[in-house]
Amino acid sequence: MATESQRSVTDAITRVRHALTKLKRSVGITEDQNNLMGAAFVAPNIIVFSAFLLGPVLYAFYISFQEWSILAGSGQWVGLTNYVTVLQPLPVSIENGGLSWNPEVFTDPATSLWWYSLKNTFVYAIGTVPLQIFGGLAVALMLDKRVRFKKTYRAAYFMPVMLSGAASAVMWRWFLAGDGVINGLLPTFLEHNWAGDPGTALGGVMLMAIWGGIGSNMIFFLAGLQNIPEELYEAARIDGASRWHRFRHVTWPNLGNTNFFVFVMAIISAFQVFGIALVFSEGGPVYSTTTSVLLIYQRAFEEGAFGEGAAMAFVLFLIIFTFSYYQYRYRDQAEVDY
Amino acid sequence: MARSDYEYPGYDRTGVGYWSKTTLLYAAVTAGALWMTLPFWWTLTTSLSATPTASAVSFIPAAPTLENFVTLWERPDIPLVRWFINTVIFAGAVTTFNLIFDSLAGYSLAKINFWGRDKLFLGFISTMMIPAMVTLIPVYLILTQLGWINTYQGLIAPLVANPLGIFLLRQHFKSLPSALGDAAKIDGCNEFQTFYKIYLPLAKPALATLGIFTFMGAWNNFQWPLIIANDTNMYTLPVALFAVRNQYFAEWGLMMAAALIIVAPVIVAFLAAQNYFIRGMSLSGMKG
Repeated sequence: MATESQRSVTDAITRVRHALTKLKRSVGITEDQNNLMGAAFVAPNIIVFSAFLLGPVLYAFYISFQEWSILAGSGQWVGLTNYVTVLQPLPVSIENGGLSWNPEVFTDPATSLWWYSLKNTFVYAIGTVPLQIFGGLAVALMLDKRVRFKKTYRAAYFMPVMLSGAASAVMWRWFLAGDGVINGLLPTFLEHNWAGDPGTALGGVMLMAIWGGIGSNMIFFLAGLQNIPEELYEAARIDGASRWHRFRHVTWPNLGNTNFFVFVMAIISAFQVFGIALVFSEGGPVYSTTTSVLLIYQRAFEEGAFGEGAAMAFVLFLIIFTFSYYQYRYRDQAEVDY
Repeated sequence: MARSDYEYPGYDRTGVGYWSKTTLLYAAVTAGALWMTLPFWWTLTTSLSATPTASAVSFIPAAPTLENFVTLWERPDIPLVRWFINTVIFAGAVTTFNLIFDSLAGYSLAKINFWGRDKLFLGFISTMMIPAMVTLIPVYLILTQLGWINTYQGLIAPLVANPLGIFLLRQHFKSLPSALGDAAKIDGCNEFQTFYKIYLPLAKPALATLGIFTFMGAWNNFQWPLIIANDTNMYTLPVALFAVRNQYFAEWGLMMAAALIIVAPVIVAFLAAQNYFIRGMSLSGMKG
């Protein structure tokens, strides 16, 4: 026989059950879901990503408002000071009521290392990304055809992809040194210390990056080309399309996904270039190869200015994010057109 | 492949036009291939010259010698074996953990129906947008607090899972029929057994691809070991190359020998499993 207290306990349990079911329904949990198992399977990854990606991003934001003393090993809240230090002087200033452009921040490392490094990064990106992509596409188009020794050629183009950035930077430094291999091939009057001259050092880094980047893009484009249905080419041919027209109206639009993927990856990695510039020339001579990430590394890990490094990293993050965002936007529109 | 003209009947394969076009094509492809491979040859020839100079090593070393490799081996301040072992441990552990964690997540995101699954997947994928430099500073400071600087766990822990790997394996598990899992469950398998005994063996090609690329990426990783390993004994090969570079930048033969030691294992693996490498590369990038 159920006593009064027992009955109230059962009532309470029923009410909690009802509430739980209601709650589940309101957040969209249905009967056939296996939430416990799902949670168990993704738990390790959630822990890793929280501990080493998401948590640190928030922590980095916090650090960027702090001034670090390397001896005490701790920071002190300084508000926006780091951001002001990094961004001053601005490339635009207000003079006599109008905006005036302030180009020396990009041309003189003594005025602002940050803007100067940003200019180096943009020069690097503009110089390498198109050549890596169109070089990769050109090679893929040539090797997609019936060429003898196709596999050997593909392997040759893929070789640099497997190379460590550090190893390739050391190699290219030697090729481009004053007594290096390239000069050995050139006639005497063209000889030059390519790696040691501020005017050509960044070009050397870019040459090496293009060399290393064509192979991976070639592979992506080869895969993309193989996914284009043959019938489209047949149809175009029957309509009398020329070689150029077949490329322009069949190959190129059908590579849409590949183009997008390759382009986004190339831009993002160009903005993060660091290791090859560090090993090639440590940012020199005269800051000519100091990219933004290299500057962040030097400020934070060599000089202990973690707060300033974090502030720079966030500014760079914003730039990369803006680029990626507009690429996504552009892609959405392009798909509507197409 | 019918997209090239000469697959078609009536295509003239004898005229001057055809021959000049073909010659041009081969000339272009060969020139590019030489540009890609000559640097490796120069590295080899430089490493085989005792005192390399521009004119001496361009193509064939005048007096080939193994002196540079012997020097690397014998110098007490260059613990080459230790660095090699460090790199193997680092790359091996990172690869193993990635295969385990990424396949667990990839499977659950493809085959287990749980609340918030698709949003979680989107969350994982968007972590790829975070540039490494933003997290580098805080992760370094966190690991300093833990006392993990200059340790293997410090080197390995932040790299044990990778959103791209999760993405790749999820796509692969998705492509396998769900009926297999249903049948296994009717036969009494629980979720983990279904994953481990039925689906995982079927995902071998994707696992192998991911394994190869994770290993290669970790073997060549420069940024993370550079920051976390500042004791000579904890260097991996790329970091060691950077660290000794200032002392020996004038000794190009030695530097090229060291570069070759880093590159050689990967090149040998590549040449042995060439088709697999290239197929895996396109698979990892293009699925989806």
